[in-house]
Amino acid sequence: MIIELGHYALVLALATAFVQAALPIMGARLNDRALMELASSAALACFLLVAFSFAVLTFAYVTSDFSVRNVWENSHSLKPLIYKISGVWGNHEGSMLLWLLILVFFSALVATFGRNLPETLKANVLAVQAWIAVAFTLFILLTSNPFARLIPAPGEGKDLNPILQDIGLAIHPPLLYLGYVGFSVCFSFAIAALIEGRIDAAWARWVRPWTLAAWTFLTAGISMGSYWAYYELGWGGWWFWDPVENASFMPWLAGTALLHSALVMEKREALKIWTVLLAIMTFSLSLLGTFLVRSGVLTSVHAFATDPTRGVFILAILVFFIGGAFSLFAFRASRLKSGGIFAPISREGALVFNNLILTTATATVLTGTLYPLVLEALTGDKISVGPPFFNMTFGLLMLPLLFAVPFGPLLAWKRGDLAGVSQRLFAAVAVGLFFGCIYYYVMNGGPILALFGIALGVYVIVGALTDLALRSGLGKVAGNVAWRRFSGLPRSAFGTALAHIGLGVTLIGIVAVTAFETETVVEMKPGMTVDAGGYTLRFDGMRNGSGPNYSEESGHFTIMSGGVVVTDIWSSKRLYQARRMPTTEAGIRTFGLSQLYVSLGDQISEGGIVVRIWWKPMILCIWGGTLFMMAGGFVSLSDRRLRVGAPTRAKRPKTIPVGAAE
Amino acid sequence: MLFWILVATLTAAVAAVLILPLLRAAAPASSPHSHDIEVYRDQLEELTRDQESGLINGDDAELARAEVARRLLAAGEIDRAAEPAAPTRRSVNVLAQAFVLLCLPAIGLCLYLFTGSPGVPAQPLAARLADPGSDINILIARAENHLAQNPDDGAGWEVLAPIYMRNGRVEEAVAAYDSAVRLLGPTPARLGGYAEALITLSGGLVTTEAQAALRRSLAIDPNDPRSEYYLALGLKQEGKKDEALAAFNRLIAGSPADAPWVPLVKQHVAELSGGAAGSVAAAAPGNPSADDIAAAQDMSAGDRQEMIRGMVESLASRLKEDPANLEGWARLIRSHVVLDQKDQAAAALKESQKTFPADGDEGKQLLALARELGIKTDGETQ
Repeated sequence: MIIELGHYALVLALATAFVQAALPIMGARLNDRALMELASSAALACFLLVAFSFAVLTFAYVTSDFSVRNVWENSHSLKPLIYKISGVWGNHEGSMLLWLLILVFFSALVATFGRNLPETLKANVLAVQAWIAVAFTLFILLTSNPFARLIPAPGEGKDLNPILQDIGLAIHPPLLYLGYVGFSVCFSFAIAALIEGRIDAAWARWVRPWTLAAWTFLTAGISMGSYWAYYELGWGGWWFWDPVENASFMPWLAGTALLHSALVMEKREALKIWTVLLAIMTFSLSLLGTFLVRSGVLTSVHAFATDPTRGVFILAILVFFIGGAFSLFAFRASRLKSGGIFAPISREGALVFNNLILTTATATVLTGTLYPLVLEALTGDKISVGPPFFNMTFGLLMLPLLFAVPFGPLLAWKRGDLAGVSQRLFAAVAVGLFFGCIYYYVMNGGPILALFGIALGVYVIVGALTDLALRSGLGKVAGNVAWRRFSGLPRSAFGTALAHIGLGVTLIGIVAVTAFETETVVEMKPGMTVDAGGYTLRFDGMRNGSGPNYSEESGHFTIMSGGVVVTDIWSSKRLYQARRMPTTEAGIRTFGLSQLYVSLGDQISEGGIVVRIWWKPMILCIWGGTLFMMAGGFVSLSDRRLRVGAPTRAKRPKTIPVGAAE
Repeated sequence: MLFWILVATLTAAVAAVLILPLLRAAAPASSPHSHDIEVYRDQLEELTRDQESGLINGDDAELARAEVARRLLAAGEIDRAAEPAAPTRRSVNVLAQAFVLLCLPAIGLCLYLFTGSPGVPAQPLAARLADPGSDINILIARAENHLAQNPDDGAGWEVLAPIYMRNGRVEEAVAAYDSAVRLLGPTPARLGGYAEALITLSGGLVTTEAQAALRRSLAIDPNDPRSEYYLALGLKQEGKKDEALAAFNRLIAGSPADAPWVPLVKQHVAELSGGAAGSVAAAAPGNPSADDIAAAQDMSAGDRQEMIRGMVESLASRLKEDPANLEGWARLIRSHVVLDQKDQAAAALKESQKTFPADGDEGKQLLALARELGIKTDGETQ
């Protein structure tokens, strides 16, 4: 009964979302407060209903209720509890329910924390959120219902895809979806503003926390996904320019652009049209990502053609929301007045430069991702646009942007002094080159480009610190004064610095790994040794073992440095019983920021096995950098000013003191 | 009943939550611009801070201040000009309440009755294991667990194989019979069961693999009627009329006169020797008819007909849940023909076309199959 109750709650959530989609927007039109307030209650009710429904599905997974088809298809009674739970979103139906849960979660957040928003804007935002919720709930109920029953119930489940039985999967999709779906709030703000026909600097201020939150989670999600692919797939790579990865990367790039353009809009009321467009585009890319991953288009256009129900449904959602948004945009854009002015060389100018490059990069990735699909659909030819394309185009695009990153925060608003800023950044350039040379020397040569890559990374980091140092007056005023000024800086300044530092750290990691990683593929017999990254690995032999739902073969390696045993590594291959599917569990040991990565291949001869060994210098910087970025996001998010806008009733102005400011 | 009470309670609770704001005597909305004004004031303060920390030059700061002030002024002006918010119109409010009260049960119940399975209880595995009752799947799962740990238990496989057949898990039945033969040695019963599973799997066609198993069975017991029968049927399906005729005749000669399968075999014989085409021929050339299977059922022990019907039903219900299964549809249509349920075969074809439309590649395949089996397809006669 509980299962059916969860199912009914989901249907009821649809009905609630339907009410929330219709009435508040009317309320905003008629200036009817009761109807507008309904939006908040409905959003909360909807969230509770979907949350209950999700909890019921989780309960079905935990209790291995195979009378639920979805559980039977993706679970197994012998799976460890954590993977029973994470299995809920390890499949199409469940992940769509998670998507919906996060969507209504954000609506509930807007309802709860949106007190600083004008009532009409809030009502419209929640209504637009509800449109999205209606579309996705219908999609779930009609094409991918996780509550479909299977009678008579089978006695055992088919198990979850083994590569998904990993702690990474438990964390990655929820984070990613928090990011993807978080941008729906920005989208709803844009649409709501277009409906009202009123977009101003205050709007940009109100959207910022949501953009920041979505961006932060998306950063975390992508980073987690990259790390998961790195250790679970056993190929030693951390980014494959795979369409699934690109699908999450595109909203990130567009979202980063949005984050920056909204700043200009807030300060100058300029770039209005552009910012609204970016808000729409970012969520459109999120939807496109969902579509690409979930419709079957990615596996093959042919597979999509054989079972198109889901794909066509998502396509209809895409057309409705993206097409509708752009139509509304085209209809309203002419009514938006342009705002304040700024010189090309200014903080605003730097942000525009950032936007130009980021959107071009998004377009590049989009082209590289969709081109093979379009080509396959039209001609049937299968091609893959591989890393070389992306590395060439994307890499080249990023270079000027990275060089410009430290300039942005140092330039003054409205009109900046490029020469002055260059002077101030001279130290950062010097420090960067110095570290680049040192690293180059330590690594005993290597590609000369790596020197500049490392230098660029260090320069970005030092540049970000320079901003903080200059603003606190370090070196110009007494130490304690500087400290006071430093701790008095707005949180957003720290956020900016942290995020930019993160960018530099990630860059250093990427350059170091790309230029200096070593890969050794050898057939090893027990007792043999191989050198990698200054360490010596000795293969000691294989051992058989078994886990709850798999059997495994593990190889043991002893790691020595200068003849002294340092540590050891277990690297294994698993075979999951239910699906007869093998996975690799790479053995990874961390030395400082670098890692030794051992992955087992096929057994060739008696006792001999193919072993792949990678030395990954400074690889942890890649993900470490994203931790800085996330920290930056959260610090910025805690900035008091983001909550400004809630008028206390007593303060309601009778006269407006503007004359003094003129 | 409890379920429906809970459903009603839940619906009522949500309706109450939605209607509550409508019932409250709502104050008119506060001025929409008071929020903007707060933001602009804060921006002015921020400008001062920025200027102090050298983030903006003095002149530019003045200009920026003027910009913000202009926004502040504009917002304030609209604010004053804005007509005082209209008090909630009663009619609108009542309409809204009616909308909520109608929407929730209408959408909720209609859609749920369409997608849900009310009355189906939750079935946590632990509870089912504790009290399996007649839950065949649990018994199978237990046997499977046992066999996963003792894959060499031939007797286990032998018990499980016919159960798999009865539950429509034909592929697993094939594997189970195979294991039983491998572990316990070949007997006509095991080999016959194996062959029968293979024949069912291929939709009634006596494949070469099945034929090999049948020959092995005959090598052990030359008078095993089931093996003889299926081999003869295979010959007939291959179009080797004379050989098939000879084989069927041999079967009659070797059977007691009152054996239950004799009438059917005689029908085959009549048909092959050019006599009046009976129902067998009309059913589907090259495919076993219901009688074939009935005969096979008499030859071996057990309630085979029932088994096949159960199999077909379970296949049909599986396809209802997940219609995107081309192979499944083909097998279902074939099986109905085999059971001489032509109307149901035609119905299945129609059902399949919902998923695989007649103008698609898959739809065409199914249509071709149906025509081959002699089922009426829409717009044409057989």
